[in-house]
Amino acid sequence: MSHWIIVPVALPALIAAILILARRTTITVQRALSLAACIGLFGVALALFSAATTAPPEAYHLGNWPAPFGIVLMLDRLSALMVLLTSVLALVVVVYAIGADWDRKGRHFHALYQFQLMGICGAFLTADAFNLFVFFEVLLIASYGLMLHGGGRDRVRAGFQYVAFNLIGSTLFLFALATVYSVTGTLNMADLAVKLPTLPEGDMGLIRVAAVMLLMVFAIKGALVPLHFWLPGTYANAPGVVAALFAVMTKIGAYASLRFGTLVFPPDLAATGGLFADVLLPAALVTLAVGAIGVLGASSLPRLAAFAAIASMGTVFVAISGFTPATTAAALYYMLHSTLAGAALFLVADMVVRRLGDGALKAAGPGAFAGLLAALYLAAAIGSAGLPPLSGFIGKLLVLSAWSGAAALVWTVMLVATFLMILGFARAGTRLFWKSDPALPTVPAPASSEPFAYAALIGLIGLMAALTVFGGPVTAWLDATAAGLYDPSAYIDANRLYEEP
Amino acid sequence: MSLALIAALPFLGAILCSLAIRWGRAACAVVAGLVSAAALSGILAHAPGVLDGQTVRTQINWMPALGLNANFMLDGLGLLFAILILGIGVLIILYARFYLSAKDPAGQFYTYLMLFQGAMLGIVLSDNILLLLIFWELTSLSSFLLIGYWKHLPEGRQGARMALAVTGGGGLAMIAGMLILGQIAGSYDLSVILTQKDAIQASPLYLPALILILLGAFTKSAQFPFHFWLPHAMAAPTPVSAYLHSATMVKAGLFVMARMWPVLAGTPEWFWIVATTGLVTMVMAAKIALFKDDLKAVLAFSTVSHLGLITMLLGFGTKAAAIVAVFHIINHATFKAALFMLAGIVDHEAHTRSLRRLGGLRTLMPVTFALTALASLSMAGIPPLNGFLSKEMMLQEAAATVWLTPWAMGLLATAGALLSVAYSFRLLAHGFLGPVRSDYPHAPHDPGPGLWLAPALLVGLVLAIGVAPMLTAAWLVNAAAGAVTGTVVETHIYLWHGLGAAALWMSLAAVGGGLATLGLYPRLRKAWDDTPRPEAKIVFDGAVMALTGLARRITDGLHDGGFARMGVVALAVIVAGSAAAFLTSSHAPGSRTMLTVTPAVAVVWIVIMTAMFAALRFHRDRLFALILTGIVGLLVAVGFAYLSAPDLALTQLTVEVVTVLLMLIALNFLPKQTPVESSMARRLRDGAVAAITGVGAALLTFALMTRDAAFAPISAFHLAQSKPGAGGTNAVNTIIVDFRGYDTFGEIIVLGIAALVIFALTETILHNRDAVAALKREGRASRAGDRQPMMLAVATRFLLPLTLIVGAYLFLRGHNLPGGGFVAGLVVAIAFLVQFIGSGFAWSQARQRLDHHLVLGAGVLVAWVAGAGAWAFGLPFLTSGYDYVTLWPLETFELATAAIFDLGVFLCVAGAVLLALASLSRLTQAARDARDDLPKGPV
Amino acid sequence: MEALIAITIGALTATGVYLVLRQRSFPVILGLSFLSYAVNVFIFATGRVQTDAIPIIGEGRIYTDPLPQALVLTAIVISFGMTAVIVIMAIGGYLKAGHDRVDLDEDGR
Repeated sequence: MSHWIIVPVALPALIAAILILARRTTITVQRALSLAACIGLFGVALALFSAATTAPPEAYHLGNWPAPFGIVLMLDRLSALMVLLTSVLALVVVVYAIGADWDRKGRHFHALYQFQLMGICGAFLTADAFNLFVFFEVLLIASYGLMLHGGGRDRVRAGFQYVAFNLIGSTLFLFALATVYSVTGTLNMADLAVKLPTLPEGDMGLIRVAAVMLLMVFAIKGALVPLHFWLPGTYANAPGVVAALFAVMTKIGAYASLRFGTLVFPPDLAATGGLFADVLLPAALVTLAVGAIGVLGASSLPRLAAFAAIASMGTVFVAISGFTPATTAAALYYMLHSTLAGAALFLVADMVVRRLGDGALKAAGPGAFAGLLAALYLAAAIGSAGLPPLSGFIGKLLVLSAWSGAAALVWTVMLVATFLMILGFARAGTRLFWKSDPALPTVPAPASSEPFAYAALIGLIGLMAALTVFGGPVTAWLDATAAGLYDPSAYIDANRLYEEP
Repeated sequence: MSLALIAALPFLGAILCSLAIRWGRAACAVVAGLVSAAALSGILAHAPGVLDGQTVRTQINWMPALGLNANFMLDGLGLLFAILILGIGVLIILYARFYLSAKDPAGQFYTYLMLFQGAMLGIVLSDNILLLLIFWELTSLSSFLLIGYWKHLPEGRQGARMALAVTGGGGLAMIAGMLILGQIAGSYDLSVILTQKDAIQASPLYLPALILILLGAFTKSAQFPFHFWLPHAMAAPTPVSAYLHSATMVKAGLFVMARMWPVLAGTPEWFWIVATTGLVTMVMAAKIALFKDDLKAVLAFSTVSHLGLITMLLGFGTKAAAIVAVFHIINHATFKAALFMLAGIVDHEAHTRSLRRLGGLRTLMPVTFALTALASLSMAGIPPLNGFLSKEMMLQEAAATVWLTPWAMGLLATAGALLSVAYSFRLLAHGFLGPVRSDYPHAPHDPGPGLWLAPALLVGLVLAIGVAPMLTAAWLVNAAAGAVTGTVVETHIYLWHGLGAAALWMSLAAVGGGLATLGLYPRLRKAWDDTPRPEAKIVFDGAVMALTGLARRITDGLHDGGFARMGVVALAVIVAGSAAAFLTSSHAPGSRTMLTVTPAVAVVWIVIMTAMFAALRFHRDRLFALILTGIVGLLVAVGFAYLSAPDLALTQLTVEVVTVLLMLIALNFLPKQTPVESSMARRLRDGAVAAITGVGAALLTFALMTRDAAFAPISAFHLAQSKPGAGGTNAVNTIIVDFRGYDTFGEIIVLGIAALVIFALTETILHNRDAVAALKREGRASRAGDRQPMMLAVATRFLLPLTLIVGAYLFLRGHNLPGGGFVAGLVVAIAFLVQFIGSGFAWSQARQRLDHHLVLGAGVLVAWVAGAGAWAFGLPFLTSGYDYVTLWPLETFELATAAIFDLGVFLCVAGAVLLALASLSRLTQAARDARDDLPKGPV
Repeated sequence: MEALIAITIGALTATGVYLVLRQRSFPVILGLSFLSYAVNVFIFATGRVQTDAIPIIGEGRIYTDPLPQALVLTAIVISFGMTAVIVIMAIGGYLKAGHDRVDLDEDGR
């Protein structure tokens, strides 16, 4: 048995605790700790990734109790992928936060950051439904702290809505989980996968209710219309660097929908059947439309980025709702891409906001922008809109071709949405970076050239390029992963249900 | 040289240019020129084989899963376009070197130009339509950058956006079309698709695919009604216009039509859509060109018109017409590129491009005039220039084509030719002939050879092809047309087709008519100016503006920052979804025997319901509402106790106390009343939503409580293993600290984070001027921090040690009896909390011995170590062991490592709560200071 | 008994929802507390209720299902932490903005 599986949770927790104890030390020490933790997390994630690639799914029985009585962590290709994605983004964003001095603008940034990573990794690794709730709460409350980092009137007020709405979501999550336990008497996801097919006819109605409530919870996390209203205010008012990290938080909703939709409530389950697909597809199409319209109609760059995030989740959920290996592989590819693209866009927006004081889409004073930032915006916009040469285009092609067949509607919505986003990004970019208002005072040169911040941003663009160039191996890997999701026997066996460990 | 490498060269050049700019604009131009030349020579190296009818291929598997592979091919058609793109590219680079002014960022220019060149080359070399699509959208992007090159010009920005919107949008349609095509053919490789004519044309999806692909081609090639973007792209620097709009970008659409000709052409749909569009575009654009004054505008519309001509020829779907199309592509590229550059020279020298302000340049700029004359005559189709040859052949084909009536096509084609004669001659007459004027914005004279060399070379070609077509062009036409039609082509191009040829008379009519038109020009112009017509730009901008405005209204309307609405929507969706899911399935009511209701229970129930109702009714009086909430919480605890959940009761009780005290402190800083704001309608809406949600929850509860689980609950194991396995008799506690200790680990971390957040937020409040000011106001207003009654103070100080002992006791017994680290931590916290209230914050703070951060951090650390300790024994995280210990004076009890974990819980909880309270107390302190600032504070 | 509990949970939920939909931060917070009462009782109750069956191992006794109780404990603690955070946020929002409305205005959203 490999103890490494718990490390993505245990390591950040440990470092966070040390950071709390060492809060009086200099910022440099804290940065070193946090950075080291992120590098370590990345290393472990890589190791787990290669393990999951070569070996079958592996379980980690916490407290050495047999499943389903204790809590089990599961390492399979999907969870390994998500943990790796998280660790990569975490590393890039922490470098940016340090490079742009964000971590000085409030207290406990790095401790909260590590707790945030702990929560996210825990949510990806757990194979216990209630434990998923616990780690949702961990990552949520950490995200509240990060979202409020630095304070500010609008930020705190937007944060209140974010917290209140998510508390409603958490309540719903508990209702759903209690229903699941009350009907099935178990919480282990593999155990549920084994038991639900033999569920008596008379209990199906209640388990369907639980399934829908769970899906709604994930839809809230995934910002699926009409449960997305929390996102624009939150992301637009959050510190840019935090919004960039949040690019992976919405993916948790997508991940959970995919996990439950293939393992616990697979399409061939008598009780729920096509429930997930039927709910997700229309909602996803509307989400994509709302996001694209928002990109065109946004009045500031952060808000534009927020709607781009919504649109990307729309695309991801469109792909997920296919619930075939092909569409799932496309969904995973687009999740990888949109996480990078979304983060890049928020970081660019943060650069602009810190340069001009606000991100309103209007001409700035002369000398506001060096060519580099404009170029980075162009790259981030190309990525978010899904144009070549970056991975968004590949992702769109994957989704479109995976949705071939009776998909006229899906194709139309996706292509029209892309068109609207091209218009929106072009409009925003030309207004902000090309136009300059001679009437305004010349914007003074930035105090620092912020090499680390730019390096982080360029790194994200480079990752998108890599995702394109190495699209072959990546898609091949994802195809195998998707295939595994639709044949969960290995995942279930790894739990060694009802056996002594 | 491998095709993949050739295709990559321009992109490499782009990078080099962006670097080479350090060594100056000249270096940049040289690099760009050399790279283009290298790519050209690479292409020409393959030429002999291709001219023999071979097709050169290189294949790189990129994403086989998707069918997107980096497969390139070079056949006759590709050869023709590659030569145009790279050959004219070299000339443009030379020309731009002398055209751009010193203040233009040349590095960007050449970078963008090379990017664009690479995208174009990629299109014509692609052997995979997905790859082609990538390069296709890349041309849209790079042309966007080129057209918007002069960022300071609003026309530049608008023109760039318009071009991107139209061509990029068309590209998206083409994506769909190509995907359909590929799925019909079963492959995205052109070499496969091109063999599937019958399958494709038989498929029901043929027409949709055709229309979608043509949308892409027509937008790119500025065909009616998408022609309007091209003239506005003229805001770009002239070298860009010369490149994009003569030889490259606008020809991409033609290329795709030619490329797909073997599988798409030959059907009535193809003929009617393509030929008609081409014809209409040709005539309409030629007419507009006649009435434009800006030299570049004339050339732009003439380009649209000639593109229409070629489109029409491809639309005929006959081999002969395809040959002419290919031939005219060559000719148009030569004379149009030359004309754009010459127009640029005039602009450069005279500082105007308006035909109204020019004239008489013949004597001032003889070289420019000579070159322009030859190029325009070729454009007009005057022998012995190459434009004449292809125009003759075009008229020949048109005359032989039946469209509506046998003669309509010929007639309209002649009209088109006539107009093209007219505007070509006008360009010469009004631009160069006539008297020398005295009022040029800038005294014009011929530029140095750097500027006129490139057009001169092209004009040389115009002449050479015109005089000796068989020698200079036929071989290329044969190869290209052969590739388009998929047959062997042996063209014979003559100047003289004999008197019998209809084309001769048609072009005579065209020339005569053209001259006549020019004679009547003033009157025609007046008529044109007097007739109002929609200005494309205004229409387009209006449309975009409307669309954007609509998008903004929708977006801001949907996301107005209202919280209640998002709540209502969410709850409605949740309840409706759950109900739908339930009703669309089968359900059997449960059969569990229910518990009986004792009078005591009934009383408690009535009280709790009343309290809730009161809370709803009087929620505006916040203190009262809070107290009612607390009562409900306490009664919930009572219920837990009654229903065999002592641990819950204890926890609920302590949590309730702390929460209520917390909120009491909070109320010091918040208004005490909630104003009446919401309308009756809104209250009814909220009430309805609340009621429905409540009913749903109640029904769900009842359905679940009255049935047994479908499968044996896993908790049987927990009960059985609590003592033997986890060494505790309190099953709930063993679950908390052992079976599901991992949940608890997460849970205490949630609490710890909460404390950190509260601390950090307090800091920001205390550092925010407005907030502190408000704080002081509140302080003066409220009675926060008043002196505490002596008795209470003394009492609480005696209470403290007592409570601490109780906490320790609860902690130790927790594993076997209700209690445990969490409750203990809360009790201790309460002890201090009571101190705060009893003795005031300052007093307690002064005596605060240890930093709460340390307690909190230590708690997390201890819990972590308790978990990780198992690793030492090769056991998983949080595996616990236990043994029996006797510790005088206590009775023998077993000490489980879980207890260490529980200690972590205890510390974490205590630290978290105390940190939160300390933070709050600092706010109170700030308020209190404010009160002390007052001259006479209330005593 | 079951019916009474079901009604209570329904009432707690309804009260919570109604208060959550108010326009000022304090009632919203109270509403959230009611929602957490509701869901805690729900988790507990749907584990089926019994009197005199505390899950503490002893001779020849019957036990109620301890797992839902453990889950409720976790839920209580978490919602306590959340409540503490949102309370301080309400204070911060009020002190910084000068009012305690929950809806965001033009620049805020």
